[in-house]
Amino acid sequence: MVASSLDAKQNSSIGMPRKANDSAYLAEQGSQLFAQGMSFSGNERDKLWLNRGADGFFDASDLSGADSPNDGRGVLACDFDDDGDVDLFVHHIQRDRHSLWRNDAATPGTASQHFLKLRLRANSTQHEAIGAVVVVTTAQGKTAQLLARGTGFASSQAAELVFGLGASDSAAVEVIWPGAKRESFGSLAANSRALLVEGSGKSEPVLARPRPLPDSLPQGLKLAVGDALPPLKLLDGQGVEATFDAVKLAAGKRLYVNLWATWCSPCVAEIPDLQHIFERGEVRVVAIGLDGATQRSKADALLRERGGKFTAFYLPDDSSPDAGEISKIVDLDRLPLPTTLVLTPDGRIESIIRGPVSVK
Amino acid sequence: MKPHRRPHWHSRAGLLLAALPLWACADEPSPASPAAVTLSQAPILPREISIADPEDPVRDMERVETWTESVANTLYDFSDKLRRRDFLAAEEWLTPGFAGQSWSELALASVKDLSLSAQRTTFEVKSRRIVGRTEFLSSIASHVAPWRCVDFVLWKVKGAEFESKAPLAGKIRFKITMLGLGIDGGPRSLVAWANARVELTGNQWQLALFELTSLDLSERSTALFSDVSASAGVVHTSVRFADVTENGFAWNGAASADVDGDGGYDIFLPSRPQNFLYMSRPEGGFFERAAQSGVAEPAGGTGPVFFDFDNDGDQDLAVADVGWKTDSKVPGGNRLRLYVNDGKGKFTESGAQLGFDALCHGFSLSVFDFDGDSWLDVFVANYGRTDVAPNDSWTDANNGTPNLLLRNLGGKGFENVASSVGLADTRWSYAAAAADFDGDGDQDLYVANDYGVNSLWRNDAGRFTDVAETLGVSDLGNGMGATWGDLDNDGKLDLYVANMSSTAGNRILGRIAGDEQHRSQLLKMAAGNSIFLGRSSDTGPSFERLAPAKGGVDANWAWSAVLADFDLDGRLDIFCANGFITGETAADT
Repeated sequence: MVASSLDAKQNSSIGMPRKANDSAYLAEQGSQLFAQGMSFSGNERDKLWLNRGADGFFDASDLSGADSPNDGRGVLACDFDDDGDVDLFVHHIQRDRHSLWRNDAATPGTASQHFLKLRLRANSTQHEAIGAVVVVTTAQGKTAQLLARGTGFASSQAAELVFGLGASDSAAVEVIWPGAKRESFGSLAANSRALLVEGSGKSEPVLARPRPLPDSLPQGLKLAVGDALPPLKLLDGQGVEATFDAVKLAAGKRLYVNLWATWCSPCVAEIPDLQHIFERGEVRVVAIGLDGATQRSKADALLRERGGKFTAFYLPDDSSPDAGEISKIVDLDRLPLPTTLVLTPDGRIESIIRGPVSVK
Repeated sequence: MKPHRRPHWHSRAGLLLAALPLWACADEPSPASPAAVTLSQAPILPREISIADPEDPVRDMERVETWTESVANTLYDFSDKLRRRDFLAAEEWLTPGFAGQSWSELALASVKDLSLSAQRTTFEVKSRRIVGRTEFLSSIASHVAPWRCVDFVLWKVKGAEFESKAPLAGKIRFKITMLGLGIDGGPRSLVAWANARVELTGNQWQLALFELTSLDLSERSTALFSDVSASAGVVHTSVRFADVTENGFAWNGAASADVDGDGGYDIFLPSRPQNFLYMSRPEGGFFERAAQSGVAEPAGGTGPVFFDFDNDGDQDLAVADVGWKTDSKVPGGNRLRLYVNDGKGKFTESGAQLGFDALCHGFSLSVFDFDGDSWLDVFVANYGRTDVAPNDSWTDANNGTPNLLLRNLGGKGFENVASSVGLADTRWSYAAAAADFDGDGDQDLYVANDYGVNSLWRNDAGRFTDVAETLGVSDLGNGMGATWGDLDNDGKLDLYVANMSSTAGNRILGRIAGDEQHRSQLLKMAAGNSIFLGRSSDTGPSFERLAPAKGGVDANWAWSAVLADFDLDGRLDIFCANGFITGETAADT
């Protein structure tokens, strides 16, 4: 419940008081959510604040790439690929439910992004050492982390602590074990992984086990490299039905399929470059304009004005049975433009050019 | 989000093309000529924009809030038109006589390095050119023209006042956010603050005057994180919340541990119709192995935790869930569960045999050894039954399901000792976080409660006393989650509490006069997350609230927060899940 605003409604200075357990009120909320499909504090993007010390916390959410508008609940922060920095996993309640974000902010081990990864084993209490605090001190200062199990909301983190050391080459490590006994483990070298066993006073090296997380799939594309483009029923520049058939269009050569729209200025800017590639003749070139059908003739005129003489396709009207054809290959809401698919002569995606093509 | 029936997106935007200044390559028409045509047809524009506060503002809060919501809801569709770059269609939300400050051709006030190679450009917005509606929208278009995609646009109403006299009009404070990808594929964030005069024309609110008060562009050549869900094999899509087949409250959490001892961290997710166990692959990525590992069923649940309950060296799995008994003593919902690991990553659900099968309203589990006997105990943060006995107050609810402390009986089973140790609290608990905050050798417990105040349960030889009020960390609000970490680099644990903040709440409360104590309480309820810095002195431990102006707390409807040093600079950063329910329509309740 948006208790803040509802509490305000309880205040007699505002209007009729609304009791927290007013069943009519709850039914109204339920109806709006379930029957009308309304949001309730929806589309709120996940937050990332970077700690800048005395300057406070910098809100980096918009640049994080992990600012999903979906409704997240549980969160895991863990170095899943064992490269030395902390990745993120969020469990959402609906739609795309599982999100794994690889940390690309850090290049672990480089000049100012040194790290230390620590695991603990207790002897005098439970061996997992849950509740232990590790204090790491470098020339820059100190920081402490807690080894906990069950924090945040409905979330439980892995038994490994990742410390950033900035540019420091080593760090003094002290453990406050459950029971409050403090133990120094001396100085550990930066960019190392270690197991700290209670009472031993020295660290045991842990071997790196890199488990790389592959790059993202291209945003907005429903096909991967290697997939064949299916035939699509589209329109030509005059609005006449025309089938996009990659194999026929390629006619034994490689084929550039340029996806563009009139509102995309880099798309319009690259038309002469596409024409140049088309004229060279080493590969064939076609364009698919993704503007709405009402824009077709204007889009085609713009393409021709800018010197584009290659074959161009456009989207059918929304009322046409073929309106959904383009959705076989792209998600129009998410596809960044321009995007050019480079196809093999047999119509399979060989590579994807994101952004303008290069004439070289 | 609009339904995915694709309308005539960008349908008429082409008419604007020539007006976009960023198109002005040498062989392009000058942007001035079409704009001039538009201007000649437009009403005479004022020399400056000055939006006065209403002389005689409406004071009836219900009416003001109704109109405020109506303005906000009207502009969701406007935002969506801008996201689709359908600028001509967007004109419908501006009056024919609209006059506003142009967003284009602004001088740079400053370019600031935001660290990590990100940068923020602040534009000079004073004394800008005044333009009519077509050119105004073109000026917004000019900023996003070089973007490869616009992912998100929102005109958020941060404040509103309305005139008492007819015709109905108001002054609105907006925060305008546009997010997308630049030509290099890196993230772009354009954020404007503005004042506007809105007028009700027929059934639709329209913008009549617009005054830009700030404009910032933040950018980086790549995002800080990349979404590798699909490529790493953890992709899963389900229907939207409130679809006919999905009307349950699925507040599913997540847990990570090395389940099979191979050195990689695996992920367990309670879920319906089956749970997920993503096992880390030696070559990278994950595969799903819930059924093969014996944890696919019973399905569902809220907060999961991996821990070694029988001290045999492997990770067992406890899962919280929501269940109840009716008057006829018939159990409903689901019980707590404990899946016992055989040491090779194969689990057997054994909650009933081990006394780990309570019917309660558990959302989060916290594992710690409360009595120092070397066997790990489990705290169950219990909420309440909204459908049967809703919270009895918005600010001090006390009719929730009692919390549980399941004491581990030497690895042979569990018994609930919450009453005898003082933890059977009936506030509406969502989550907890254990730590020895006072350094006396035993584990204390912070509990985040919805609809009221939180608790800091100090452990004294196995008996718990709530010292939250005394130490200033009761944090009145809608407590959603809590976690500990050193946020100020003094080597001591600090406390991070996730709450809710509400734009609507702050908007309304800003207008209330009268009972100052009640008002300040309500403002705290709407304020957002909290950071409490741990201190120690001769008189014992204490906490100091970090000023909200230092940042790190302005989420909206916050859920789980984690503290981790994402950029490896030696300081713990904060990530926080955010948002309650995103429906099919953009309109928010």
